[in-house]
Amino acid sequence: MNILIFFNSPWALWLLPLAILPLVLDRAFTQRYSWVAMLPKDKLSDLIGLLMKVLAVLALLLIFLGLASPHSKQQIIEKIGVGAQIALVLDRSASMDDPFSGGEINGKVGETKSVAASRLITQFVKSRQNDMIGMTTFSNSGMYVLPLTENREAILAAVQATAGNALFQTNIGSGMTSGAGLFDKVPDSGSRAMILLSDGGGRIDAETQQKIHDWLDRLHIGLYWIVLRQPGGLSIFDTSYVPPEDAVLPTQIELNEFFKTLNSPYHAYEAEDPKSLAAAIADINQKEKKPIRYHEQIPGYDFSQACFLLAALMIGLLLGVKYLEVRTWD
Amino acid sequence: MQNEIKEFSYHISWRSRGRHSGRHLSTQRGMGMEFRGHTSLLSYPDPRRIDIRQTIRDPLEQVHVRMFNQKSASPVFAIADLSGSMNFGAKQSKVALTSEIASTIAVSARKNSDPFGFIGFDDVVREDWICPPSFRAHQALELCAALNKFEPAQVSGAGLKDVSRFLPRERSLIFLISDFHMPMEELKNGLSSLMQHHVVPIVLWDSSEYKNLPEFGITSVIDCETGQKRTLFLRKEMRANIVASFEARRAEIEALFMSFDMAAFFLEGVFDADALTEYFHQFVAA
Repeated sequence: MNILIFFNSPWALWLLPLAILPLVLDRAFTQRYSWVAMLPKDKLSDLIGLLMKVLAVLALLLIFLGLASPHSKQQIIEKIGVGAQIALVLDRSASMDDPFSGGEINGKVGETKSVAASRLITQFVKSRQNDMIGMTTFSNSGMYVLPLTENREAILAAVQATAGNALFQTNIGSGMTSGAGLFDKVPDSGSRAMILLSDGGGRIDAETQQKIHDWLDRLHIGLYWIVLRQPGGLSIFDTSYVPPEDAVLPTQIELNEFFKTLNSPYHAYEAEDPKSLAAAIADINQKEKKPIRYHEQIPGYDFSQACFLLAALMIGLLLGVKYLEVRTWD
Repeated sequence: MQNEIKEFSYHISWRSRGRHSGRHLSTQRGMGMEFRGHTSLLSYPDPRRIDIRQTIRDPLEQVHVRMFNQKSASPVFAIADLSGSMNFGAKQSKVALTSEIASTIAVSARKNSDPFGFIGFDDVVREDWICPPSFRAHQALELCAALNKFEPAQVSGAGLKDVSRFLPRERSLIFLISDFHMPMEELKNGLSSLMQHHVVPIVLWDSSEYKNLPEFGITSVIDCETGQKRTLFLRKEMRANIVASFEARRAEIEALFMSFDMAAFFLEGVFDADALTEYFHQFVAA
């Protein structure tokens, strides 16, 4: 590994020749002496004299180097961990702000779906230390929130930020395409999943369906769909449901049918209350544990602090010599 | 001001050849007390000095006249080193001390009715610091007063070898005032050129040069003459080395002066005229 040094302000290097000033200029407090040749040779004195010059030169050199703020380039290190690259695609439609009816957890009645979702996802994120997680939300269109990252704090902050006021539409297609877009141009770790969390279905037009189909296939993304269902509502797993005549299928069933046609792995969950939502997330947690490769960026090291510290040390030494200096000859 | 200057007494160990009357034994015949011999009235026509007893005793009936040697003056010179190293000195620079000594010599010479001259040199003989020998000391004393405030430049003392060109052929008493901080060879050549005269080397050393160095500390020194710079870490060992180096130097120059038969007069910091009187009693035969 070769460390290359770069300078943020290379113009300061033009000051470097000034560092020879201590060699050129006299010291301020120089005693006149009648005949220096009479003074016997003393190695220690010569050494101290040399050292003082060298210290002064080095201190100046380091200060000028520090001004140029040298740093090494940022490095990217490949790490192997257990986990996955996960895109969270969360529904931010207004219906998410409704409570789970009859939802009762921790004694709280009527925890809204979005709050429950963010709480449980926070737990989920905390339990998976090696994952890269990105996030998009959607209501009337997809909203880009966070790229795939290892930064826990950013992920948690993004999850917290989802619990808020929302709009009234549900545009799943746009949310999914922007969620899939998170994986674009990110090295494939071998384990990629998109967790779609919504409280119902939405229609996706044919063109977007094709796009989702292609992208999930090309980017090797597995899909988990967690449907937050109203208690007593229609289940997507209800195979016996027959729609009334000349009426279209309910959106969630239609969506489930579409997802089943995908080439990539797909799994659907239904959650009626926070407890079942937790169970669904725990199941995903269980499934997405494969060794992954990912790259970690190590920022370049800034050497200017070290330069200034060393310079301060040398100036300190010089001050020490100054303290020992003879002021009164007599 | 001149009254404040303390005099010392000196004498010379040779017969002066000066015609000007003074206080020293002389080879010059004249109105002195020292009987020199008889001669005939024809060759020394001074009827006041007719020696009647000798004239009567002479069977050839020549008229004899007594001859005496007069007391004569002898030139006295102060030759001062004005090189850079003379700028040094703790309480008083060596140049100021030189000025004090030279004015003492000037006053003492005047008292002895001797002409006094002053010559200053650094790496050449400084013609602006020359006062030709004179029986009147004013000019020399003025020069000495000016010397008190003089600050030597950063020059060596190589002009010593040329000083003899500015001295009379007559044997003179020369006070050579310097710290003799010069290479041995240079000093030797300089002294050789002055051998015809009676030289009294007055060695000005300052105790802060070697004995009274600071106890402990780091300092950098610059040479007054060459500008050479060095850093010194003064401590017990270093100070002992410096003192030893100066003692060795003292022995060395003392030996050199003795080889020229010029006893050195060492001076540290303060000048005492009586010490110089003592010096003449000790080292110069009357």
